[in-house]
Amino acid sequence: MQNTLIAKKIRKNILDMAFSGSTVHLGCALCLVEIFAVIYRSHLNYDFFNPSDPARDFLVLSKGHGVMAQYACMKELGWLDEKTLSNYFADGTDLKGLSDSRVQGLEVTSGSLGHGLSVGAGIAFGHHLKKVNQKTFVIVGDGELNEGACWEAIQFAGHHQLQNLMIVVDKNNFQAMDATSEIINQENLKIQIESFNFNVVDLDGHDEQALDQAIQDLFDLRNNKPSCIIANTVKGKGISFMENKNEWHYLRLDQALYESAISELET
Amino acid sequence: MRDTFSSKLVELAQSNPQVLLLTGDHGYGLFNGLREAQPQQFINMGIAEQNMVGVAAGLSRVGFKPIVYGLSAFVPIRVLEQIKLDVCHDNLPVIFIGDGAGFVYSHLGTSHQSTEDIAVTRAIPNLIVMSPGDRFELSRCMDLAYAENLPVYIRLGKADRGDVHSQNLDFNLGDLIFLKKPTDVTFSVTLVATGSMLKLATMLCKRFPSLGLVSAPSLKPINEEQIRDLCLNNQTIITLEEHSIVGGLGSIISDVAATLAHATVKKLGIQDRFSEHCGSYEYLLNEHKIDFDSLEDAIKHHVPSLD
Repeated sequence: MQNTLIAKKIRKNILDMAFSGSTVHLGCALCLVEIFAVIYRSHLNYDFFNPSDPARDFLVLSKGHGVMAQYACMKELGWLDEKTLSNYFADGTDLKGLSDSRVQGLEVTSGSLGHGLSVGAGIAFGHHLKKVNQKTFVIVGDGELNEGACWEAIQFAGHHQLQNLMIVVDKNNFQAMDATSEIINQENLKIQIESFNFNVVDLDGHDEQALDQAIQDLFDLRNNKPSCIIANTVKGKGISFMENKNEWHYLRLDQALYESAISELET
Repeated sequence: MRDTFSSKLVELAQSNPQVLLLTGDHGYGLFNGLREAQPQQFINMGIAEQNMVGVAAGLSRVGFKPIVYGLSAFVPIRVLEQIKLDVCHDNLPVIFIGDGAGFVYSHLGTSHQSTEDIAVTRAIPNLIVMSPGDRFELSRCMDLAYAENLPVYIRLGKADRGDVHSQNLDFNLGDLIFLKKPTDVTFSVTLVATGSMLKLATMLCKRFPSLGLVSAPSLKPINEEQIRDLCLNNQTIITLEEHSIVGGLGSIISDVAATLAHATVKKLGIQDRFSEHCGSYEYLLNEHKIDFDSLEDAIKHHVPSLD
C-alpha cells in the first residue's frame, strides 16, 4: 500500500474524474490529497473487502465536497477501477458529487455541512463506552466550521474526553463564495478548539511527514483529550491556475485546461 | 402515561445494555427510574439537539440502540435534517420520542407547541411514525418500535387524559384499532382519532351515540386496507387530531378515501424514497418516473379514455 498513494497520481485521478464528469469542487478536493494519503497509508485500520468489520477504524469525510480526493485514493488502493472513475457522473452510476454512505468505503452522507462531526463523535463515544481501541477521523472544512452543529460536537467530544477521536480541519482559508476571513474570521481557531479540551497541532497540510508524525504523536498522548490537526492547505493545490483561486470551487475543466493541468503534474 | 414511559424505558434498558437514553436536557423527573436502575445508560446531551441526533446516529452505527428524547417542538422539528440524513438515509435503529406534542405547553407559546411534526416526519423515507392515545397504546408502540430495529418517531401528547383501553394491546404496526361500530345503518359516521384526542373522541361518542370510533396509534406505515374498509362502510369519516390538518391523520385518511370516491385522485410525484443512483437531472426524473414519458404512461394507464 505504501507505494500506491502518491500525491501526484491522486491529483491526476481527481483531474480525470472532474474532466470526465464535468464536475465542480475541484479546489475542495485537491487540497485534501496529502491528508487522505497519510491517513490511508499509515493510520487507518480498514478493510475495503470487509467494510462492516466492527473492529475497523472510521474515516468520516464531513466536508463532503472533497469526496473526489477520497475516490482518487480508493482507485490507488485498488478499491475502485478505472472505468468507475472514467464514468463519473454518468447516468445510473453510484459515485455522487458529495460523500454518500451507500458507496462502499465511505462512512457517512455529508455535504450538507456540520453533520459528520456529530456522527463521528457518536462513533467515537460508542467505542469509548465499549472500551475498545478504535480510531475515528473526521475531516471538516474551515468553512464548515461556520455551522453551529460543529461546535456542539466539539464541546461534546471535549467533555467526554474522546481521545479516540481526531478532527482534521482542512484550513484552506476559502469557502464557496469568498475567503473565510471575510465571512467568519477564524484567526483564533487553534485557541478556540484547545479551549474545548482538545490537543491541537497546527501544521502544513501538504507535508506528509508532518501529518504522519502529528497523527502518531497525538494518538500517543493518551491524555483523555480528543485531537485536532489544523491542516493549513492551499485550495486547488498542485495546479498553478487553481491554487488559491476560489472560482475553482465551481469552475469546470474544458479540454485545454485539463491538458494544461495534467502537463503541470507531469513536469 | 408518563409512568408507563418511564417504566418501559427501564425495562428496555435492563433487557439490553446497548439501549441508551439521550436527552437534550429535557424530561425533568421522567428518568429518575432509569437513572437509578441503569445510570450508565442515561446521557444528558445538553441543550444541543443537532449534535444529539448526530451522536445517536454514530452510536447506532457501532451497535447501540439509542432512544432520543426531546420535546416534539425540537425533536423532530429542530433536527429534521439530522433525522433525515444521519439516521433515516441509512435506516439506523434510533427511536425518537417527541414529548409534549400539540398544545401541552399551552402557556409557553409557539416555541414549545408542535402541530406539524406528523406532517414532516411522514414525508421522510424509512421513518416509522406512531401516536399512541393512552398508556396501553404507548406500551405497545414502544415494544413495536424496539422490535422493528428501524428509525421510529413516537409522538407523545397530553399524557393525563386517562385510559381508553382497559388491558394490554397486541395490535400490529400500522393497524387501526376498531373500538365501536357506527349504529346508524342508513348514514354511518365514524370518528378516527389519534394520540391525545382519543380520550376526547370517546366522550364525543357518548354525546353522539350512533358514532363509530377508531383509534390510529400508528400513522406510518398505516393499514390502508382497513382504511378502505372504513371508507366503504361509512358515509362520512371524521378525523380528530391535535395536529395540523395539513399532512396529519386527516390527510392520511383522505389520501385513501380519495382513491375510492367518485372523482378519484391519482397522485403523481416522488414515491416516498431517496434517489438510488447518480445521473443527470433528466435521469433522476426518469428514475422517479416523473419525466414526460413516464407521466404520459401513468396518465394513459390511469385514464385510458384520454388516449
